[in-house]
Order: sequence, then C-alpha cells, then structure tokens
Amino acid sequence: MIVPLEHVLILSTILFLLGLVCVLVRRNLIMILIGIEIMLNAVGLLLVGASAFWQQIDGQVMVIFLMAMTSAEVSISLAMVVYLNRRKGTVDVRAFDEMRG
Amino acid sequence: MTLLLALIPILPLFGGLVNACFGSRLPRPLSALIACGAVLGSFLATLGCWPGAAGEGLKTTLFTWLQSGSFSAEVGLLFDPLAAIMALMVTGVASLIHLYAAGYMEDDSDQARFFALLNLFVFAMLTIVLADNLLLMFLGWEGVGFCSYGLIGFWYRKTENAVAGRKAFIVTRIGDLFFTVGLLWLFARFGTIGIEAINSRAAELDPTTLTLISLLLLGGACGKSAQLPLMSWLPDAMAGPTPVSALIHAATMVTAGVYLLCRMFPLVSLSPLAMGVIACVGVLTAFYAATCALAQREIKRVLAYSTMSQVGYMFLAVGLDSVSAAMFHLLTHAFFKALLFMGAGCLIQLAGHENDIFQMGGMRRRSQTVFWLFLAGLLCLAGAPLTGGFFSKDLILATAFAKGDPFHLGIYGLGVLTAGITSLYSFRLAYLLFAGDFRGEELPHELPKLMIWPLPLLALLGLSGGLLNLPHLFGGRSWLSGWLERENDLLQIPLQSEYLLLGVAAAVFLLGWLVAHFRYRRFAERETEVCKQFFLTGWQCDAFFDRLLIRPFRKLCYFCWQGGDLGLIDGLVEGFARACLQWGHAIRFLADGRISRYLQGFAWGLLLIVGWFLLQAVR
Repeated sequence: MIVPLEHVLILSTILFLLGLVCVLVRRNLIMILIGIEIMLNAVGLLLVGASAFWQQIDGQVMVIFLMAMTSAEVSISLAMVVYLNRRKGTVDVRAFDEMRG
Repeated sequence: MTLLLALIPILPLFGGLVNACFGSRLPRPLSALIACGAVLGSFLATLGCWPGAAGEGLKTTLFTWLQSGSFSAEVGLLFDPLAAIMALMVTGVASLIHLYAAGYMEDDSDQARFFALLNLFVFAMLTIVLADNLLLMFLGWEGVGFCSYGLIGFWYRKTENAVAGRKAFIVTRIGDLFFTVGLLWLFARFGTIGIEAINSRAAELDPTTLTLISLLLLGGACGKSAQLPLMSWLPDAMAGPTPVSALIHAATMVTAGVYLLCRMFPLVSLSPLAMGVIACVGVLTAFYAATCALAQREIKRVLAYSTMSQVGYMFLAVGLDSVSAAMFHLLTHAFFKALLFMGAGCLIQLAGHENDIFQMGGMRRRSQTVFWLFLAGLLCLAGAPLTGGFFSKDLILATAFAKGDPFHLGIYGLGVLTAGITSLYSFRLAYLLFAGDFRGEELPHELPKLMIWPLPLLALLGLSGGLLNLPHLFGGRSWLSGWLERENDLLQIPLQSEYLLLGVAAAVFLLGWLVAHFRYRRFAERETEVCKQFFLTGWQCDAFFDRLLIRPFRKLCYFCWQGGDLGLIDGLVEGFARACLQWGHAIRFLADGRISRYLQGFAWGLLLIVGWFLLQAVR
C-alpha cells in the first residue's frame, strides 16, 4: 500500500470531525445534510483504506453499499427539505422545534 | 288458636309492607285505614288468644329461621301471661295512637312512609313481646331501634331531627352490644337460645358468670329504656312527630328494657348483686330525670324526662324482686303517658305549633276537653290518690320499704323524694299550661276530631288502672300478681305501716302540688339561675359525654384522617408521583426540540465511549 494507513486514519478523522462540526454548528438544513454526507464519506474512505491494508474485499463491498444507500438517503432528505421549506418558508432548523419538552 | 296467635305480629307486618310498597299510590285515607285496621286486627287477635294464655300459655313455631349444627333458631311465638298482658297493652295503645295519628298526619305529604314505619314498629315490638327465643327477640329489638330512628328523623329535612334520630340509634346500639354479648354468652353456656330453656337451667351457672350476664342484659335494657348512663337520646327523640313520641318513647319501646328483664327474671333474680345494680340504676334514673323535668321549657321534653323517670321506677321494681309491680307500673304508665303525649300534641296544635310552655298559658280557654283530659294524665303521673299511677308507684315504694334493710330504705327515701318532685313538675306543667292568659301570639290551629276521641278512653284506663292490681287494703284481689303467678310479690306488712306508706305518698303528692301552686300560679319570667340551667341541660350530661367520648373520638378520627390517610398513605403515593414530576421538570430543558442539541449529545456520548475505550487500551 502506497499510502500509509496512519494518513488514511488521520484524513478520515479530520473529514469526520469537519462533517460533525458542520452538522452541529450550521443552522441551514441543507448544510447539515452536507455535513452528514461528509461524515459518511469519511467513513467510506476509512473502510476502503482498511480494506486495502488487510487485503480483504469486504470493506470495499461495504463502501459500494454505502454509496447506494447514501444516494437513496440524500434523495429522501432533499425531498423532505423541500417539503419543510414549503411548510414554514425557511430551511432554518430553529424553526422546527415543535418536539421540545 | 295458633293461627290467631300468628296473626298478632303478622297483621302489622302486612300492613307495614303494603304501605311501604304501594302506600304512595293508594288514595290518602286508604293508607291510614290499612295501618289502623292492621293494628286493630292485631288487638282483636290478642283478645281472641287471651283465654289460652293462662298457665303454661300458648306456643307455636312458624318456621325454622336458622339451622347450623346444634344451633337452631326458630321463629316461635310464646304467649304466656307476661307476654299476653304486654301484647294486649301494646296492641291496644298502638291502636288508639294509630287513630290519633290518622288525624295528626292528615295533611302530611309523607303519610304512607309514616304509617309504614309505624306499623313495622308495632310488628317489631310484638316480635320482642312474643318471641320464644332470644335471637328472635333481638331481631325485634333491632327492628324497633330502626323504626324509632326512621320516625324520630321523620321530618329529615331539618338537620336537627336527623341528628336526633342518629343519636337515638347510636346510643341504643351501644346498649344492644351488651345484649348481643349476653345473648352469645348464654348460647355458649347452654347451647340453646330458648327463653324458657335458659330460665329453667339458669341455676346451673356459677355466680360470677350469672352476675356478668345479668349485668350485660341490664346494659341492653338501659340502652332501649333510656336509663343511666345511656339516657341522653330520649329527650332529643322528641324531634319526631307526636304520635311517635306517644307510641315509641312513652308507651312501648322504652319499656322493652323492663320487659326484657321481666322475661329473663328467673335468670336475673339469681344474682343479688345484679338485682342491687338494677334497683340503683332505676332509682337514680328516676331521681335524675325528675330533677331535669323540673326545669324544661318544651312541653314534650318535660314528658320525655318524666317517661325516663317512670321507667326508672319500673327498673327499681325489677330490682326489688317484684315483676308484678314493674308490669303494673308499666301498664298504668303506658296509658297515662300515651294520653299525656297525645294531649300535648293537641295542645301544641291549639297553641299554633308552639312548643314552649313559657309561651303558652291559659290553654284551658282554648279547649275545655283537652284541659280535663290532660289534667287526668297529669294526676296519674303525679300520683294523685286513687289514680292508676298512685297505686302502681305506691306498690313499688312499699316493696322497697318492706325489704327493711338500710340499702332498700335508702332507695325508698330517694323514691319518695322523686315522687314529690314528680308531683311538683306535673303541677308546674299544669299551671304553666292552663293558668293565666295565653302568652304567645299564635292563633289556634284547628283540631281534627280524630285527635280528640282516643283520649277519653286512655284517660279512663289511666285513672282506673289501679283496678288491675288493687291491693287488699282497698278490697282488691291483686289480679295482676295472680295472673303473672307472682304471689310472692304480695306484701306482708302490718296494716299500720301500710296506712303510713299511703299517707306518705299522698303527702308528697300534696306537697308537690302546694309548692307548684304557690310558685307557678302566676306566671313570672324568672332569671335563669345556675341550678336551673344545670337541670335544663340534663345535668350537663350531653356536654359530659361530649368531653368524655365524642371529642376524643373526633380527635382520634382527625388524627387518623390527617396523619394516617392524608399523611402516610396519600403522602407516599403522592410523594412518589411528585418526585417523578419534579424530576421530569428538572431534565425537561434537555429536550428543547433543537436537533443540533440532540446531536451534540450523541457527539459527547461518542467521545465518552471512545475515551473509555482509549483508557482501557492504555491500561
């Protein structure tokens, strides 16, 4: 393996944290979705790296599934964003706090 | 004959049930007619059975009520001389009172309920009188208690009437408890509850048990007959309609205690201690109630206390070993006291529903008839020579005198003193009612004819009641003592002392009259003295019982309510709920509906878990 595993780990951790911070800090629904995508891709990257390191195909298979699932998820999420936007006229998460106790 | 005997209690039961079930749908006169007819029929049936009563008496068993192992209670009737004379008095007086009640309740909207209860009362009373076992007697005993409760609180819309009914019920129940224990004890000892069986085997008991059982029976009798210390309900019971006071609280129910003691006399008389206690209770109650009657302002309360006092004399007679004297006084008292109560009802009506004798006066001008009839009753009560009350009271006092020992002479002295007070308060009542001018403002109400005409009959019976047991001195044969087969009750005292006793009795009567004449001839509003107030409130007995029993009981209840129920049980349950609620409030801010906050929670949790695993790995 050309790239050392440590680099892959560090990169994917950075990506994951970036995505996490994006999800936690941003208030725009679409940005939150993007943050989630980034976290998913960080995990995918880690899976591919690990698969190459141990010379096992399982990780890559998992990533293919992950991609398929992610595309489905994104399409549903975006549809919901459109729907929510139509309901309240905004995509700010602060507007959607009806579940507060 | 047995059918006729069974009819005696069944007729009033039938009348009561018909009135209870259909009374409100029957036309008005009909429900009164059924009630009167039922009791009158019962009276005629008693007369029909009369020839069979002599000697052993009639016996019949209607059916078996309870049967369990060796225990069996039958609904059996016993019509012996004692039961016969009592049944005749109950049905006779009740018939007259029913007629009077038909006039009295003419305009009442609840007439059917009244007559149903009245008839059921007569049924229950006849059950007591005719029962051949103690359990059936107890059934009647409770029945009269219930009917009395229902009738005292008959006008239940006024709270004090309902309270008076409740008080009567609860106080008599305390007495009933003693009776129940005595009954069960007798069953445990003898294995039977038949009155005759128990009486014939009473000598088998050891003296202590015998005394205790006798005292328990006395306790039961005290409750029903309003004797010390269970007497406080009777004056309050006057809240009921007047015919009820006449029937239940003068003529019949209050004498049930005396009847019980007479019924169980072979058992009770074996214990000298119990007999002494009975005599003491009787004479003390007689004295107590007579002093209370001196100060009362309400006409019916005066009569209530006088009833209590006269029943005390009957107890005294039982305690003196003289069943015939007790029954003699019971009979004459029933006649003249029913007369007095019904007369009082007429007077109240004539005075425009005024109860207070200080507001009456000059009633003679409103109705001469009622005046003479009421006066006849008062003369009997006061013990005017040659009236029924004179002979019966004198027989009791003479019996006490004839015993001769200091204890009984003391009782005799107190009895004579009480007789004097009785005469005093009787004439006080007479002067306040009839002398002078009417002091109130009310106009007389019209008196239905039906309310007048049972009275002369009772007056006749009361005045001539002495003939029932006329002593030899007056040429009589002491018929009642002979009928009850109690020849031992006839006194063997020298002629001189007999004249002396009669003289004393007549003297205290005159003395009472004279004192009343000079004190009450002219009405004057007197200041209420401490002593008078003391008598007016019945020696503060109500306040005493309030302090002794009711307040501690209330405190206990309050403690159980506040401490036990609200504090402990509710505190536990509600405290648990409140803790949950507060906890929920405390962590409520965590769920503020912001997704980012939730996700932050995820992130921190994840960090924690990762940190934990890292720590594990480092170790």
